[in-house]
Amino acid sequence: MGPLPIDFSPPINILLLGALATPIARALSSRLGKAAAQGCAIVALILSGASLYPLYQAVRAGPLSLVPADCEPSPLAACLSIDLMGILVASVAILLGIAAAVYSTRYRESEGSDAEYYALLLLMVAGMVGVGFSADFLTFFVFWEIMSVASYVLVAFESESAEPIEAGLKYAIMSAAGNISLLLGIALLYGLTGTLNFAYIAQAFKAEAATAAQDIWQLVALALILVGFGTKAAIVPFHTWLPDAHPAAPSPISAMLSGGLIKAGAYGLIRICTVIFFPLSRVWQPALLLLALLTMFTGNLLALMQDDLKRLLAFSSIAQIGYIVFGLATGTSDGLTGSLFHILNHALAKGLLFLCAGAFLYATGTRRIRDLCGMAKQMPVLGTIFTLGMLAIAGLPGLNVFMSEMWIIRAGIEAEQFLPTMLLIFNVLLSVVYYLRTIQVIVVGRPTTTVAEARPVPAAMLAPMAVLAGLCLVIGLYPDPFIRFASQAAATTWHGSAYLAALPTGGMAR
Amino acid sequence: MTTMPVQYYLLGAFALITIGFYCLITRRNMIRLVIAIDILSNAAHLMFIVFSSSAKPGFTQPLAHALVIISMAMDGCVVAVALALVMLAYRRYGTRDVRQLRKLRW
Repeated sequence: MGPLPIDFSPPINILLLGALATPIARALSSRLGKAAAQGCAIVALILSGASLYPLYQAVRAGPLSLVPADCEPSPLAACLSIDLMGILVASVAILLGIAAAVYSTRYRESEGSDAEYYALLLLMVAGMVGVGFSADFLTFFVFWEIMSVASYVLVAFESESAEPIEAGLKYAIMSAAGNISLLLGIALLYGLTGTLNFAYIAQAFKAEAATAAQDIWQLVALALILVGFGTKAAIVPFHTWLPDAHPAAPSPISAMLSGGLIKAGAYGLIRICTVIFFPLSRVWQPALLLLALLTMFTGNLLALMQDDLKRLLAFSSIAQIGYIVFGLATGTSDGLTGSLFHILNHALAKGLLFLCAGAFLYATGTRRIRDLCGMAKQMPVLGTIFTLGMLAIAGLPGLNVFMSEMWIIRAGIEAEQFLPTMLLIFNVLLSVVYYLRTIQVIVVGRPTTTVAEARPVPAAMLAPMAVLAGLCLVIGLYPDPFIRFASQAAATTWHGSAYLAALPTGGMAR
Repeated sequence: MTTMPVQYYLLGAFALITIGFYCLITRRNMIRLVIAIDILSNAAHLMFIVFSSSAKPGFTQPLAHALVIISMAMDGCVVAVALALVMLAYRRYGTRDVRQLRKLRW
C-alpha cells in the first residue's frame, strides 16, 4: 500500500479514525448500545498508546519529521516533527485519556449521548497529541483549535444544570479570545519571516541580528503569543476561566483539562520560547519569572479559602502551572527538565485527584469538603487512593511530585535566582496547609450522614485511579528512568538545536 | 496600475482589532461577545492575507491563504458552539445579559 493521502503519524491517525468510528459504532449496534461507543473509544485510545512506543524507539535517536507524500521539505510545507518532548506530551494525554474513558463508562451511566461524548474525548486527545507533534504553525493551530472546541463542548456537556452552561460560555469566550491573540501573533511572525515553519522562523530570527524596528515587532508577536498560551495554561491575569470550568465539567473531563489541556498550553509556551524566541530570552525570562510567581501565589492563596473540593483542586492546578513556568523561566536546561518532569507528575497526581473527587461526587452527590467528612472511613480503598494522591501533590518525599519540585528548586538555585526560589519554596510549603487540611477532614473526621449513606463506587472507576496512584508511587520510588527521559527531552529541545539540525536535509521524508 | 500600500491594510486590520476588543470588554450582550470574537478573528485573517501578498511584489504566497480558509472553518465551529451555549443560557435565564449569570464566583 502506498503512503496515505493524509498521514499524521500513527497515534493521531488512530485517534481521528476512532473519533469518526465511535458514533458510527453506536448507531450501527442498537443491541450493544452504549457499550459499542465505549469499547470503540477505549480500543482506539489503547491502540494509539501502543503505537506511540515504536515511535518513541525511532525518535530516541533524533527528531523524526513527517512531510506530506511527494513533497519536498521547504519553508512552505506543513509538517510534523516528533521529538522526545512531543512524545512526553502525547503519552500524558493518551494515558489520561484512557483513564478518563474507562472511568466514564460507569461515571456517566445515567446520562445519554455517549457517542458524542466519546467522540469529543477522542478529538480532544488527538488535538493534544497533534499539538505535541506539529512543527509548523498551520498544523499546530489546527490541532490547537480541535482541542479547544472539543473542550468547550465537553465542559458544558451536562447541560441540564446551570453551572456547566455558564462556565462553558465563560471558558469558550475567554479561550476563543486567547486563541485569536495567538493567531495574531502567528500572523506577525508570518509577516516578519514569510514562513510558518518553526525551524525556518527560528533560523530567520537567529540570522537577523535583530534590527531595531523588527525587534519591536518580535516583542509584540512574543507578547501576543504569550497571551494566547497563557490563557490556555491559566497563567495568572488570564486564569479566571479555570476555577469555573474545572468544577463544572464532568469529573473525567476535569482530569483531562487539568492534566492535559493546560499542560498543552504550557507545552506551547516551552516550545515557542525555546525554539523560536530563544534569541529574546533576556526578555521572556524575567517576564515569565514574574508571571510564574504571581500565578503560584494567586493559586495557593485562593485555594486556601475554598470549601468545594473540585474548586480547591482547580486553584491548586493554577499554582502548579506556576511551578512549571518557573522551571522554564530559570533559563537552564535543568529547569526545563524539572518543568517537563513536573508536567508528567502533576498530570498523574492531579488527574488522580479529580477522578477521586468525581468518585466522591458519584457516591454522595456533593463536592463540599465539609460534607465529605470521614469519607475514608466509609470507603477505605478510595480513601487510601485519595490520601496518596493528596500526599503526592503536597510534595511528600518518596512520591513523584517531590522529585520534580526538587529539580525546579535546584535549577532556580543554580541559576542564582535566590529570592524567587525562596518564594517558590514558601509556596510549596503554603500549599501543604490546604492539602493536609483536606486530608484531615476526609480521613480523620467522623462520617457525616451524607457519607454514611454513600453508594459504593464501581470497580471500573476504581481501576484507573488505582493505576494512576500506582504510577505516582512508582515514579516517586524509582524516578531515574523518568528523569533521564525528561532530561533528554529538555536537552534536545533547548536552543531548538534539534529542529535546526534537521533543517538542511529536511530530516526524514516519508 | 497603482496598488495601495500595505500600511493601509494593516491600519484597517488594527481598526478591526480595536473595534473587536472594545466590543469584547464593554458589551454585556452575549451575542455581541460572540460577534466580537468573530471580528477579532477576521482582523487576524486580514493580516495574514496582507502579509501573504506583500512579501514579494506580484506574487501571492498560498500558505497564508490555506491557513485563513481553514481558520475560517474553525471559526465557524467556535461560533456555533458559543451560540449553542448562549441559547442554553437564554433558555434558562431569559436574558442575554452576561452579568445576570450569577452562579459563577470569582
